[in-house]
Amino acid sequence: MGNENIAISVQNVSKSFRQERVLKSVSRDFEKGKIHGIVGNNGSGKTVLMKCICGFLIPTEGEVIVNGERVGVDVDFPRDMGLIIETPGFLPNVTGLKNLEILASLNKKIGLREIAASMRAVSLDPSMNKPVGKYSLGMRQRLGIAQAIMENPSLLILDEPLNGLDKHGVAEMRKLIKGLKEQGKTILLASHNQGDIDELCDTVCEMDAGVMTMIREESI
Amino acid sequence: MKPKQILAVTKYNFRRWHKNPRIVITFCLAFVLCFLLSDKAVKFAKEYDTTMQLVEAFVWTFGDSNSILLSSLLLLLLFADMPFINSGTPFYLMRIDRKTWLAGQAAYIALAALIYLTFILVSTSLVCMRQSFVGNMWSETAAILGYSGAGQKVALPALVKTLEMSRPYECMATIFLLMLLYTLLMVFIMLLFNLRRGQLAGIAAVFAFSLFGFLLNPQTIKAVFQLPDELMYKANVAVGWLSPLNQATYHMHNFGYDLLPRLWQTYLIFALLIALCFFLSLRAVRNYNFNFTGTEG
Repeated sequence: MGNENIAISVQNVSKSFRQERVLKSVSRDFEKGKIHGIVGNNGSGKTVLMKCICGFLIPTEGEVIVNGERVGVDVDFPRDMGLIIETPGFLPNVTGLKNLEILASLNKKIGLREIAASMRAVSLDPSMNKPVGKYSLGMRQRLGIAQAIMENPSLLILDEPLNGLDKHGVAEMRKLIKGLKEQGKTILLASHNQGDIDELCDTVCEMDAGVMTMIREESI
Repeated sequence: MKPKQILAVTKYNFRRWHKNPRIVITFCLAFVLCFLLSDKAVKFAKEYDTTMQLVEAFVWTFGDSNSILLSSLLLLLLFADMPFINSGTPFYLMRIDRKTWLAGQAAYIALAALIYLTFILVSTSLVCMRQSFVGNMWSETAAILGYSGAGQKVALPALVKTLEMSRPYECMATIFLLMLLYTLLMVFIMLLFNLRRGQLAGIAAVFAFSLFGFLLNPQTIKAVFQLPDELMYKANVAVGWLSPLNQATYHMHNFGYDLLPRLWQTYLIFALLIALCFFLSLRAVRNYNFNFTGTEG
């Protein structure tokens, strides 16, 4: 596997909070254009690993390289990345569209058309005049996914993206995620749900007590 | 760092004020505090049946170090959630960088402190509104308080040097600026310790800073260095320079005949210390671990 095919390279990453070592020398390369699953129990370290990859947490040891750039050294946070980390937080008193507009205005990569398209992609009506505070959990989750994909990033970090969705919503989002892979995007997906992992992921790693082990390497 | 991104982060923080009970409580308490603190001056004017200049209640109340200390500590309630991280933070953080995020927080702190102090100014003016006038001259109340020594008896800093060397609006603007700089320094110290050592350390640092200002008074200096009474002025001067709270107190400045700090020197000291805290915060944020509320798994 050449370096140009690697989207994310996690090299010997350890993370400690005070005396507790949450990640223990995790090393793994994640290939471009695939869906990589991470499974593990609560507290196994998968969210911490994802936060290290996103640059929100600084590893105690080791480094994370995303698209050739060292996170925390060359860039604060990986460029061209979309993310959803568990419970998506939005401003409760404005509409979903307005929330996305506020976020999109930060880097001005896209306009209203792309924002509305991303909302439609997750089956949310952009013209809906309802503040996010009145959204159901599933609707917020969909809005979180719309937020992650709206700028058309090449890398998606999705931590429990299907939480709070009903059966129909899960099926829809799985279809959407598969479609994103077909567009050549690299997706790192953490989930408790074995069904999501089995159906979506090309490779699967398991986190257990801060140690990562490979479960499945080939596409199904 | 792009100014528009900084502004967007600042605006995002202000959007969280909407129907936020903590913010409402802070401003309600600030109003009650203004009412209680300025009551002495207003009562005095009522007792003597004299008028007050519109901003005099503010000048006599916040020309005193204890009032500055109380109002600045109440401001901490506004910044209790510092460094302003919630489950929405990752969404805008990943679209900017760490320095821009911090600059946005700094701008938010400065603007929020400015709004809070403006609210205090307006509140104190409202408290004495029924017996006040707007002209830029000291009132009869001020004259009685200052020249008769009654101000000192009721612990109001209505001093002759204030009356003779300034006018109400100019004096108000100076006190407002001193309070703003003092509170900004306090909050930037909180931000720095928050980023370096966590939220608890941020609060501890602010209390240590306030306590230092509160305890550092001429009596303490006199006792520590065993100064005789005739050298008490040296203790006054030392406290005027060393205590940040006294630096923020209007009458503890040199108006031309003592060795206390001049106003411009105080502005410079505060500005340098705030800039230093911000610079150290910029360094600290490089290694800061972001923990978002409600996202742990």
